[in-house]
Amino acid sequence: MTSEQPQALVKGELTLVSRETQVKEWLLAALFFSCAFVAVLGVALIFAFVGWKAWPILSDVGLSEFLLGRVWAPSDGSYGILALIQGSFVVTLGALALGTPLAVGTAVFLSEIASPGMRSVVRPAVELLAGIPSVVYGFFGVVLLRPIIGELTGSVGFGPLTAWIVLAIMIVPTIAALSEDALNSIPMGIREASYAMGATQWQTIYKVVVPAAKIGIIDAIILGMGRAIGETMAVLMLVGNAPQFFAGVGEPISTLTSQIVMDMGYSTGTHRTALFGMAAILFVISMSLVLAVRLLSKLRD
Amino acid sequence: MLSGCDRSHDSATQLIVTGSTTILPIAEQAGEGFVRASPDTSVLVSGLGSSAGIEAVMTGTSEIGSSSRDLKAEEEGLGLVDTPIAFDGIAVIVNPTNPVSDLTVEQLRAVFSGQITNWRQLGGEDRGIDLVNRDEASGTREAFKKAVMSDDARFDSSAVVLPGTGQVRDVVSRSKGAIGYISVGFVEPRFASRRVKALSVNGVVPTEETVTTQEYPIARTLHFFTKGEPTGLAARYIAYVLSDEVQQGVVVDAGFVPVSERNGQ
Repeated sequence: MTSEQPQALVKGELTLVSRETQVKEWLLAALFFSCAFVAVLGVALIFAFVGWKAWPILSDVGLSEFLLGRVWAPSDGSYGILALIQGSFVVTLGALALGTPLAVGTAVFLSEIASPGMRSVVRPAVELLAGIPSVVYGFFGVVLLRPIIGELTGSVGFGPLTAWIVLAIMIVPTIAALSEDALNSIPMGIREASYAMGATQWQTIYKVVVPAAKIGIIDAIILGMGRAIGETMAVLMLVGNAPQFFAGVGEPISTLTSQIVMDMGYSTGTHRTALFGMAAILFVISMSLVLAVRLLSKLRD
Repeated sequence: MLSGCDRSHDSATQLIVTGSTTILPIAEQAGEGFVRASPDTSVLVSGLGSSAGIEAVMTGTSEIGSSSRDLKAEEEGLGLVDTPIAFDGIAVIVNPTNPVSDLTVEQLRAVFSGQITNWRQLGGEDRGIDLVNRDEASGTREAFKKAVMSDDARFDSSAVVLPGTGQVRDVVSRSKGAIGYISVGFVEPRFASRRVKALSVNGVVPTEETVTTQEYPIARTLHFFTKGEPTGLAARYIAYVLSDEVQQGVVVDAGFVPVSERNGQ
């Protein structure tokens, strides 16, 4: 509290400068406020719109029939999205299982092992992965990966396995960058103490540095999960879009996002309402993920 | 939204065509050509589905209702006049390495409803059948469903669903056990590097000719319906759609079979 005293004094003195400066300051503050406000307004409007459009699903289909119904066949009047929710989680969790070790390994390498020269090559390469449009990932998966997976699983090659591999690569930059930040924020003294005790580099990494950066890494994984669950284009191109329950890594499934895109163009009436209902579910899922990250950062502080 | 259609319009200068999304590109492009030729007129085209088109022409909110299906029993005898504007055949395609080359409609129904799951049951190799289906928005799916499937034999929900003809063709051309269906016009497109094999159905090979003569069983007619014989602007527009300019241009480009070829027989 006491340290803020001089600052308040300085701010008070600011009001003594010319009116012109004062107006300029005020305008700038207003400008930056409106920038921030646009983002908040965007979220609020989308939330209100999706909610408003999805609301009738409660009376048209019923919440339990919608969330727990096992059959998605809009042309026959069945609007159960359980298989699609399962599909979204199957695709996301599989991608995380493959992508997390890859990404955390990359982060450990960049932060603990790589020489500065090596780092200057590897880091931009990983960052570049984030800049590739998802349709390109999807195309890569369809043309190169799908035939190989088809051979291996004895199917057409559309299904979770193909989507897992491609999504795992897609989420590496997100998880790696944030994990690296978390590792870098661990004070050098902790590593020095570990080495001083006679620990090897490997022991220092997995017994000291990584556990110390644990919450930051979990943060990174959750954000990677948000990226994976919302991914649409690459998933649409790879999962096969059959609205059935998981039946094997080579058997087609469908996800919330890909089904929304497939049906958006022609749906009417209850079908369209159901799509907005699915969007609302996605909204709730990603909000919970953001909330989880917030809570974790509080824990870290 | 529909209340807008209640507004009376001057049918001497404005023509409304409502209906099938399959016919939409033909009706639209023909409409643009028609208006270019007679600039004092306008043609409004919308794709709300075949049923909506038939409904609109019956209630008089449209002069022309376009439909990619035939009239249902309850729609017959209400004074609608049918003008076929094009034909379309749907080819069943498999990988070129697949030894199976002919199936009956009954076998296709069993395959696409998931009752037959191995090519051996159809006289082929011992290999699982990989179904490749189209999305529900697809007119091709709708027509295939009408020609092949029945109420007791619905599409197997474990089939891969792809959103486009090109993708179905590509996947089938690369996967040994796959089977799918696409418009006849796309079986051998000009720039495709990989091949697919079109099966004959009930012993009939799908070609422009067998589609035209209706020997090939999985075909559909694209219709314009009018209430009574078309008159005035509607008659001029339909005549333009049936002219060689549209039939050999827009209709052929869209992958359909011109109606003039069947009339010529």
